Amino acid sequence: MTVDQAPTPPTERRSTRRSMDRALRDGRHPLNRFADSLSGLLIKLALLGAVNGLGIAMVLRLVALDGPWWAIASTVATTLLLDWIYLGKTKLPLKYLIPGTLFLVVFQLFPFVYTFFIAFTNYGLGQILDQDQAIERIERGSIQALPDAPRFDAVPFADGDDLALKLTDPDGEVFLGTPDGITPVEDLDTVTDDDRLVEIDGYERLSLGAAQDRIDAFTELRIPVDEGEIELTSLSVATERAQTRFYDPDTGTLTDETTGTTYVPSERGRFVSEDGTETLSPGWRVVVGGENFVRAFTNEAIRGPFLRVLVWTYVFAAASTFGTFALGILLALTMNDARIKGRKLYRLAMIIPYALPTFMTALIWRGMMNRRFGVINDVLGVQIPWLNDPTWAQISVVLVNLWFGFPYMFLICTAALQSIPEDLYEAASVDGASGPSRFRRITLPLLLVATAPVLVATFAFNFNNFNVVYLLTGGNPPIAGAATPAGHTDLLITYTYRIAFESGGGQDFGLGATIAILTFVLVAVMSAISFRFIRPLEEINE
Amino acid sequence: MSASTPGTRPTAAATDDPVVWTAPPRPPLARRATRWFRDLGWRYLVIAAALVFALFPAVWVLSAAFSPSGSIAAQTLIPDPISTINFEQLFATNFWRWFRNSMIVAGVTSIGSVFLCALAAYAYSRLRFQGRRMSLLALLLLQMLPQFLAIIALFLLMIGIGRYFPELGLNTLAGLIVIYLGGALGLNTWLMKGFFDTLPRDLDEAAHIDGASHAQVFFTLILPLAAPILAVVTLLSFIVAINDFIVQSVLLTDDSQYTLAVGLYRFIDEDYGARWGPFAAGALLAGLPITVLFLYLQRWLTSGLVAGAVKG
Repeated sequence: MTVDQAPTPPTERRSTRRSMDRALRDGRHPLNRFADSLSGLLIKLALLGAVNGLGIAMVLRLVALDGPWWAIASTVATTLLLDWIYLGKTKLPLKYLIPGTLFLVVFQLFPFVYTFFIAFTNYGLGQILDQDQAIERIERGSIQALPDAPRFDAVPFADGDDLALKLTDPDGEVFLGTPDGITPVEDLDTVTDDDRLVEIDGYERLSLGAAQDRIDAFTELRIPVDEGEIELTSLSVATERAQTRFYDPDTGTLTDETTGTTYVPSERGRFVSEDGTETLSPGWRVVVGGENFVRAFTNEAIRGPFLRVLVWTYVFAAASTFGTFALGILLALTMNDARIKGRKLYRLAMIIPYALPTFMTALIWRGMMNRRFGVINDVLGVQIPWLNDPTWAQISVVLVNLWFGFPYMFLICTAALQSIPEDLYEAASVDGASGPSRFRRITLPLLLVATAPVLVATFAFNFNNFNVVYLLTGGNPPIAGAATPAGHTDLLITYTYRIAFESGGGQDFGLGATIAILTFVLVAVMSAISFRFIRPLEEINE
Repeated sequence: MSASTPGTRPTAAATDDPVVWTAPPRPPLARRATRWFRDLGWRYLVIAAALVFALFPAVWVLSAAFSPSGSIAAQTLIPDPISTINFEQLFATNFWRWFRNSMIVAGVTSIGSVFLCALAAYAYSRLRFQGRRMSLLALLLLQMLPQFLAIIALFLLMIGIGRYFPELGLNTLAGLIVIYLGGALGLNTWLMKGFFDTLPRDLDEAAHIDGASHAQVFFTLILPLAAPILAVVTLLSFIVAINDFIVQSVLLTDDSQYTLAVGLYRFIDEDYGARWGPFAAGALLAGLPITVLFLYLQRWLTSGLVAGAVKG
C-alpha cells in the first residue's frame, strides 16, 4: 500500500506523521515489536488458525457434497488471502478493512451483480434449478411401482436407530437391505437361533410389536437398487419401485421407457415431448437475454402497471419528504419559544412514532384504518374506504408515513433552528422586516441549507420504504388488468418483492430482478446528483 | 419589538421588558387574552393537535392490548373490564420464541457490525493509503442502495449456500446475521470515522513511541475512548435489525425460526379481525423495550447528524 499523493503538509506534525507512516511501511517502526510480543502473537495465530480451520472445513464439505469448482476455488483463495494479509507486516490498512469488506462483497456486492445475471434468465418458480439438477429431479420423480415389479417378503431389523430389512425375493434369495443398498445375506455375519436369523451384520431382528412402534420410520426407509428403490408396502411385504424416465447424455434427450415417449430440451428450459403436447416439471433456468426488459417495456399488461408504480414511487417519496419537512418546520417553529412550559416533555412525546418499531405500527394503522371496524371511521362517524379505494389508499400511505417521519424532521429542524445566528434576526428587525418575510428570507433558506443532506437521504429512504407500504396496504388495491401483482400503492421495491415472492405472480425472479435493476439505476443516478449536497464529502481528505 | 418573535433570545427581550411590563394602564382582559393567544395560545393548540396525532395510535394499541375481547370491532377506548385475556392468547403462540430469535439476530448483528465498522473506521481515520477516498465514497453510494434491493439474489444465494452449508442457509438465524453483517459498513463507518478523527492523534503517536503496536493502540486506546460512538452504532444497528421485515420474511420459513416482525405479521395477517387484541398485546411487549432504548438514544442520533450538517 502506498500513501496518498497528497501535497506535502506544511506543518511539522504532518511530516512527522508521514515519516511514521513510511517507517510503518518499511517495518522499521517500533510498533512492529508487536510481532515479538508473545501474547499478541499468540492471539493472532489462534485467530488465523481458526480462520484456516474454517476454510479447510468448508472446502472439505464442498468437496464431499460435490460442490461447484468456483466455490471451492474462492474459499481457498479467500483463506490464502487472509493468511497473506495477516502474516505480512506491510498490509496495515487491509488488516483493518478486510473483515467488513469480506462480508460486504459476499452479501451485498455479489447479490447486486447476481441480480443482473438473474434479470437475463427465466429464473422463477419451476425454473429454479440448473439443468443437471432438473434431470436428477425428473429421474427421481419418475420412480414408481410397476405392475410387474418384484415383491419381497420383508422382516424388520434394527441396530439402534439404523433400520434394515431382511428381504426374500421371489426366487428365495435372501438379502439385507439398508439405506446404503442391498447385500446378499450369505456374504454377511449372521446369528441364527432355531433356524431363524436373529442378527445380520450387527442388525437385530425386531419383534412385530417393536417394528410396529417404529412403523413411520420403516415406511420412510428407501433401499436403493439399480434404477429404483425398495420400500415397504406393509410390515411384511416390500416392493421394488423402478425408475421409468432416463436421460441420455449422448442425445441430450429424456425417454420414458413405459410409454416410449422421448422428451427434447426446449429453449425455455423444459423437456417437451417430441409432439409438443407434454412438458415435464421441473424445468431449469436458461439465459433468455433481454427478454425480461423487453417484456417490462412492451407488454401492455406489464408496462402499464410498471409505469404507474414508477410514477407513484416518485410521488410517494416526494410527498413524504415534503410533508414531513413542512410538519417538522411548523412544529419546530411553534415550540421554539422559551415561554412554553414543558417543552422537553412534548418533544419526547412527539418522537414516540419514530421510536416504535415500524413493522408493528404499520400493522396497527392498518387496523385503525379498517373501513368497517377501524377507530378512525368510528370517531369521525364516516365510512371512508381508507385502504380499499385507490386514491384513498394513496392518501393513507402518505398520511401514515407522515406520522412515521415527522418526528425525525422535527428534531432535525429544531436543532438547525437553534444554530441560526441570532444577529441575523436582529439585523432584519432593525431593517424593519416583518415576521413572514423574516421566515421566508432568513429561516427557510438557512434551514434548507442545513437540512439538504437529510432531505436527500429522506427522499432516498422513502423511495424504498418497504415496511410502510407493504405492511399497511400490501401494495393494494390492485391495478386492474395487470399481468403481475401490482397495486395502486406499490413502490418499486414492494412490486419487485411481490413479483418474486407472492403466489399468484408466478414467482417470476427474472422479471423481479429486472425491476430491481431499474430501481438500482434510478437510485444510483439520484445519489450521484445528490452527492453534491452532502457536505462531509469535502472533509474526506482531512 | 415584541419578545414573542420566534427565534428571539429571551435575553434580547430583556431590554424591551420595562416597556411592556411597567407601562400602565393595563389593557382590558379581552385584549390581553387575544394577545396571549396570538403570542402563545396558538402554539399550545398546535402542540395539542400534534400530540394527539403522535400519540393516539400508541394509546389505541395500549387499550386494545387490555381489551376484554380480542376482536377489532369490539374495542373501546377504555377497556371495560381491564383484561389480560389477549396476553394469554398471545402466549399460546410462539411469541417468546420469536422474541428470543429477534434478540439473538439483532444482538449478534449489532455487536458484529460495530466491530467491523470500528476496524474500518480506524483505517480510514488513522492510515493513508491508495484508494482511500474512492472506497469511502463507494461506501456512501452503497448506503444509498440498500441491500434488500437485491432481495431476489439474496434469496437464491441462501438457497445455494444452504445446499452445502445448511447451518447457514435459508431458515436459519445465522444466515440472517451474516446478511446483515454484509450491510455493516456504510454510513456507520462515516459516523465512526468522524468520531475517531476528533480523538487527538498525539495520543496514538505517544503510544507508538512508547512501543505500542497498532493493534494495541486500536484495542486499548482508541476503542475505550470511542465508547460513546460505539454504543450509538451498536444500538442503531440493533434497532435496524429488529425493524427489518423484507429479508426476514423471505429467509425464514418455519414458525419456530420466525422473528418478531415475521411472526407477528403472519399471526395477524391470517385473521385480522379476531387476532387484533393478542397482536396489540404482542406489539406492546415487543415495542416497549425498543421504544425505551430509542428514546434514550435519540439525542445522540440527531446531534451527530446535525453537527455534521449545520456547521460551517
